[in-house]
This record gives sequence, structure tokens and C-alpha cells, in this order.
Amino acid sequence: MSVEALNAPAATVEETGVLSRTGVLRRLARDKVAAAATIILTLIGLAAIFAPLVSPYDPYLTDLTKVMQPPNEQHWFGTDNTGRDILSRVIYGTRNTLMLGLVGVIIGGALGGVLGILAAYYPRADGWIMRLVDVMLAFPAILIGLAVAAIFGAGLTAVVIALVVATVPDVARVARGAAVGVMGQEFMEAGRAVGVSDRTLIWRYLTLNCISTIFVFLTLRFGQIILIGSALGFLGMGAQPPTAELGMMAAQGRDFLFMAPHIATIPSFAIFVIVLAANLLGDALRDVLDPRLQT
Amino acid sequence: MGRQIVHRLLVSFPALLGVLFLCFCLLQVVPADPAMIIAGPDAKAETIAAIRLELGLDRPIPIQFLEYIGRVLHGDLGRSIISNKMVSEELALTIGPTVELMLGGMIIAVPFGLTLGTLAAVKRGSIVDRIIMAFSVAGVSMPVFFIGLILIQYMGFKWGLFPFTGRTGPIWDGGLPSLVLPALTLGSVLIGPIARLTRTAVLEVLGADFVRTARAKGLRETVVIVHHALRNALIPVVTLIGLQAAFLLGGAVVTETMFSWPGVGRLAVGAIVSSDFPTAQGAIMILAIAFLSINLIVDILYVYLDPRVQRS
Repeated sequence: MSVEALNAPAATVEETGVLSRTGVLRRLARDKVAAAATIILTLIGLAAIFAPLVSPYDPYLTDLTKVMQPPNEQHWFGTDNTGRDILSRVIYGTRNTLMLGLVGVIIGGALGGVLGILAAYYPRADGWIMRLVDVMLAFPAILIGLAVAAIFGAGLTAVVIALVVATVPDVARVARGAAVGVMGQEFMEAGRAVGVSDRTLIWRYLTLNCISTIFVFLTLRFGQIILIGSALGFLGMGAQPPTAELGMMAAQGRDFLFMAPHIATIPSFAIFVIVLAANLLGDALRDVLDPRLQT
Repeated sequence: MGRQIVHRLLVSFPALLGVLFLCFCLLQVVPADPAMIIAGPDAKAETIAAIRLELGLDRPIPIQFLEYIGRVLHGDLGRSIISNKMVSEELALTIGPTVELMLGGMIIAVPFGLTLGTLAAVKRGSIVDRIIMAFSVAGVSMPVFFIGLILIQYMGFKWGLFPFTGRTGPIWDGGLPSLVLPALTLGSVLIGPIARLTRTAVLEVLGADFVRTARAKGLRETVVIVHHALRNALIPVVTLIGLQAAFLLGGAVVTETMFSWPGVGRLAVGAIVSSDFPTAQGAIMILAIAFLSINLIVDILYVYLDPRVQRS
């Protein structure tokens, strides 16, 4: 890191303070890889949102006359062991997998962001909050998922809780780091001097200036969160059959790996594409918005 | 350095308590009454009450938690509901295979990751760098089970190179072939992250004054890279490999389940699926404590490798 970057947090904070600052999209578009990743993610997102309209078949409709067909004209991705159309199931599965990741990242990001910012604003709470974060860091997400599934039973809720717990501590650290930087700015002191209330200082002054850093960090984490969620699905701790979820679909297809490998590999490949696109976009966003943030 | 280590130990204490509490909850929030499960469906009310008294289930929760900690400290993790064996005995059998798998994965991942990362840094901006980086981004984005599925299908099934279910025995007793595919699966997901981190670390060091000095005094480029750059870059890399411990642990759970590898992770997953709470509790506790210990060791190693840490 260069000396200039260290000495010039003020400029960076102001430049990145608002998310939708014009130019971000234009700079992203100049990066071909990022542009491709954005397009792919958008298409995947649209397909997931409009799953009932896009999928060619009912993802839950079994047809025992068409079992384990390899990809063909009628079924682009083939059919599974009960004759269900895999393309339709992948579309619905993507919907569930993406939803899990989004809910985990949004709730975890909000909680972690609040914790980090409060830790930076109230030095007295700092030690306690960071200690709590340390304890949370002591649990790898997969373990949380296993424990929650053991206590409350396997299901989407167990996965969401695990993903939230996996997101909160890292976000809290990043948010605290960003907020400590903002706390040293003159406008904070000025605000306090003219008698702005704590609440306004925290929300308007502090949070708004940290939010882009938090956002970039969450984009970077999104891929990993999806991977954890699908691994829990694969282990049978998440969505239960017949619900389509990509990780669980891969696990089910494993039993037919030697007869019909596409049943397991196509959902796995779908996860790979989603995570890859998310990671590439995250990297590009970081380079444009917040180059100081390291993974 | 001593003070640093004591401080780290103190910090990990609440985390350890958290782990114990979570495992205790696992035994508490069971949907069914453990006394009733143990007594069986036809048991009389008195029998159930007697078992409850014997298990101490009538006492207040905080007392039960303290008693639980006492039992854990004595190595008593309860009995499996399914097999009725001591959980500690079942766990003892699974720890070896899990350690074996993780070490196997690291032995594959670390040399590859370090080499690829260093190469990418030295050839920065070249086509080699781009290929390695593309490869590592793809690796970071790959679900563990995807790699496992491909390895099982080709190297295991089609080409018949290695066995892909179970473990035939310890490495020194002809168990090596059965370790190959699981270790490859676990190792290959770690190559990407390690390569990426090494590249960043080496790039930072390559710009340092002492590297320029080394070059200026006419050392061969290999010596500069390996002895000066890579050696100093190893400090952040060690910590960052430590940060991958969560990744390693999660990957091990999935890998064990896929390859029917008789480790702690598979024991945990199997126990949860069959509602064997004492076993699940024991397995999760061991995994969490393993994770805490890895982090602790990495932190201590970090202080040892980089004496500057002591000052901050």
C-alpha cells in the first residue's frame, strides 16, 4: 500500500461515500470480465425471479417413462432419476440457493454493520462487541449449520442462521475498521461541536460513509456464502426433498453418478457459475469502489 | 512473546465456553425427552423418573451446565443413543482419519499454492500470471463436492486408479491409495486461495528495499526470489493459511461424507441425520476445539515468525 493511500482517507471516503456515484457503472463496463460477470449474474437473477415463466417444465413433475435421460432436445439438461426435468429444477434450485445467500448476506451484513459501527462510536462497548465477534469467529459456518440443524432440525432456516453467523463477524470487523477511519474525520468533530445528536451522528454521518465499504465487502463474500449454503444443502442440512436446491440436487444425483453423471454434475456446475460470476464482480467492484479493502 | 501467548489463550477462553455452551444446548433442546428415549417406549413412569434423576435432568439448567463441563473435562461425552457406545470411544476412532485427511490435503495444497503464487508474482502481468490467476479464481469458486464428483467419476470409476469409498487403514498399513482421492479433493480447493494470497504477499515483498539490495549485490534471481522474497512473504501466508482453517474444516466434513471417510465430520453428519444427539454434540465439540486450536497455533506461529507483532 502506498503512502499516499494511507494519508488520503478523506478523499477516498468522500469519493466512495455514495454508492450510486455516477461513473462506477461506466468504469465497471470498461472491465470486460466484470461486464461479462454482471451480464451472467443478471441473467441468472432474472431466470431465478421469473422461474415459473422461464422453466420449460414443472420442476416437481415426475415422469417414470423418461428416467435418467441424458441432455437432449426436449430436456436440455436431461432428466433425473424420477424423470423430472433438470433444467427446470436447476432454475428453481438457483432461485432457492440465491435466496439463501441473499438473506444470509443481508441479515448478516446489517447485524455486522451495526455492531461494527457501534463498536467504533462507543469505545466503551468496543471491547465487548469485539469479544463477541471473536467468539462468533470461533465457529466455522459449516459447524454452525450442523449444530443448528441438529437442534432445530434440518431445513432452510438452519442454513440461513449458519450463513448469518458466518457473515456477521467479518462484516463487523470491516465496518469497525471503516468507521474508525470516519470517526477521525473533521466533519464528525464539527457535527459534535454544533450539537448534532448521537443518533444522527451514527446514522447520517458514520453509517452513510461506511456503507460502500460494507457493500463491497458483502459482494466479495457473497460467493463464499453461496458455497457454504450449498455445501450445507449437499450434507442434507438444508432444503429437504422434493424442494429443488442446487447443493441438495448434487447430493441426490451422487447416487446415480455412474449411470447418469449429469444429474449431479449439472447442479454442481450451476453453483460454480454463480459463485464465479459473483467473485469476479466482487473483485471488480472492489477495484473500482474501494481498492484499499483486501480479502 | 510469552505475554502475547498468554493473552491469546485468555482471548480464546470465552470462545471455548461458547463452544461448550452450544454443545450443551444440543443436548438440552432435543425435541424428545432423553430419559424417555433411553428407557424405551414401554417403560413405566417410575423408570423414566429414575433415569431422569440419574441423569440429573431435574436440576436447574446452570447447575446442569456446570456438571456438563465437569463431565467433559473428565472425557465423558455421554453414550450414543444409536450404538450405546461411549461417544468418546467412537470419537477416538475418527480423529486419526480426519487428521490424516487434513494433512493430506495440506500436503497437496501448500506446495502447489506457494509455487503457483510465487510464479504469478514473479511473472506479474504476463500470460502465465493471468492463467494462474484465472485458475485460482475458478478454484475459489468451485464447490468441494464438484471436484469430488469429478474425481470419483473419472479417477475412481472410469479409470479405476484409486478406491473412492472408505478407508482401508492407516497410511503405514496400505491405506495410502484410499487417501489419494479424498486428499486431492480437499487439497485442490485450497490451492486457489493459497496461490492468490502468496501472489499478493510476494508482490509486496518484491518491491522492498532488501530485495533490490540483494539484486544489486549480484545474487542470482532464484536466490533472490526463494531466499529473500518468498521467505519474507511466508509470514502473511502462514496467517492466511490459518484463516483457511474454517475452509479446511468445512471441506473436510463434505469430503468425508462423499468418500465415506470414517472421520469426525462424517460421524457428525451421520449422527445429526439419525438424531443421535450425544454423538453429534461430541463430534461438533471436537471439530470446534480443533478449529480453535489451529487458530491459536497460527497466532503463536505468527508472533514467532514476525517479532514486530509483539510491539503492537
